[in-house]
Amino acid sequence: MAFLARIGAPARGFLEFLGDQAHLVWRTLRSGLALRAGQLAVVGGQTKLQIRFTGLDAGVLVAGTALLLGAVTLIQAFSQLSGLGAENYIGTLMVLIILRELGPLLTAVLVIGRSATAIAAELGTMQLNGEVDALAAHGVDPYRYLLLPRWVGVLVAVFALVVCFDAAALGGGFLVARLKYGITWGFFMESVRQALSNLDFTATLLKVFFFSGAITFHACHFGLGVRRSQTEVPQAVTRTVVSALVAVFVVDGLLAACFYF
Amino acid sequence: MLQVRGLACALPDGRPLVEGLDLDLSPGQNLLVAGADGMGRGHLLKVLAGTERPRAGEVAVAGIPVWPGEGALGLAGRVRMGFAFPTGGLLSNLSLADNVALPLRFLGLSRGEVARRTGEALTRLGLEPVANLRPHAVSAAARKHANLARVLALGPELIFLDAPLEGLDATDRSLALGLISGWALDSGCTLVLATEGADLPPGPDFQTLDLRAHHSPSEPS
Repeated sequence: MAFLARIGAPARGFLEFLGDQAHLVWRTLRSGLALRAGQLAVVGGQTKLQIRFTGLDAGVLVAGTALLLGAVTLIQAFSQLSGLGAENYIGTLMVLIILRELGPLLTAVLVIGRSATAIAAELGTMQLNGEVDALAAHGVDPYRYLLLPRWVGVLVAVFALVVCFDAAALGGGFLVARLKYGITWGFFMESVRQALSNLDFTATLLKVFFFSGAITFHACHFGLGVRRSQTEVPQAVTRTVVSALVAVFVVDGLLAACFYF
Repeated sequence: MLQVRGLACALPDGRPLVEGLDLDLSPGQNLLVAGADGMGRGHLLKVLAGTERPRAGEVAVAGIPVWPGEGALGLAGRVRMGFAFPTGGLLSNLSLADNVALPLRFLGLSRGEVARRTGEALTRLGLEPVANLRPHAVSAAARKHANLARVLALGPELIFLDAPLEGLDATDRSLALGLISGWALDSGCTLVLATEGADLPPGPDFQTLDLRAHHSPSEPS
């Protein structure tokens, strides 16, 4: 029995974690639907702060990373495929590698590194200081004041960052294509446009939605799980990073299988 | 206002706090939770206020189930409740004034009404000079007073005060005592006060729950 219990414990822990995630999502959705007009200014203010921190403040980092990635992708592709007419596949390469996969995925990784860690640490510290209890005790629903603005803020920010990432990566790729083969902007964009389909837009939107949800609710789960001491805060941050990364890669794999397999 | 049936709860370290506690507080009645430091006065207040889950038993506020139930979240928008914490309890990223104003803004009050009530509460507790500072930038006494100011501005029907006089000098203490006495004498307000016992404001009647003795309420003193 002890052996069976030892085997079953991780499975039970995982199911409890999933249940808690579902509970957080449900309570946050419910609190959002019950939002009153008078509370819009407070929740909106918090959402704006989250968008600024997660989106605006990370814009240069994401654009710089994407610019380099777009350039490096085409440098490597040209170095391997130069004899096979690589310039004819520029658009396909950019769409397959950057827009379809690496854009949303690397944006999510950067947001996990910058924002999910911050959310987990902030909520953990608030929990220790009794701030979350104080909110609830004074009629301020923590789901509405803490979780909803973070979810909406991360959703908007991730969407904006993915657009920014894709644009910068295309810019980086174009620079290499221009310098190496003298390809014009018109030819480059036409090649990309031909490789793009509506399916790619749908898949990207779904990735943005699920990635932002996974990032926010993993951070909130581990942050709000801090109970007793300051040493739990860095542990919560580490767990958030590992868990959110796994979730994002799993979601990415599932969506790729659903759309392109 | 506050009904408790068969409440059993333990401290975070596992020590039993109360077992089978029954309580009935009508609107306007007051309860003193007495006990030495470390006996769990604050923890019991949190259970009664719905921010900590008990091991067993029922707690209801104004007939609305708190436990078993959603805790304090179930009371939001239905019962105005205030809680003054002994330490912390203030949002560290907001100024004292914004901390006081936040529950009022969440009630959906007009901007003018929020400003008026916040200003009055801060003035009453002598916090205007530090109103725009964040909690970490002010003294412990000011943080305690900001907790009281938040309760005062909200005008709650049910108030929980956890060691509100602890660590205050004579001036701050008399300011807080005046406020607490006012709440204790207010027939529309139910006050639950946790203290070591010697801090009782003179005048109003308190039903007493002494954690050092029987873990059950005695007759009004």
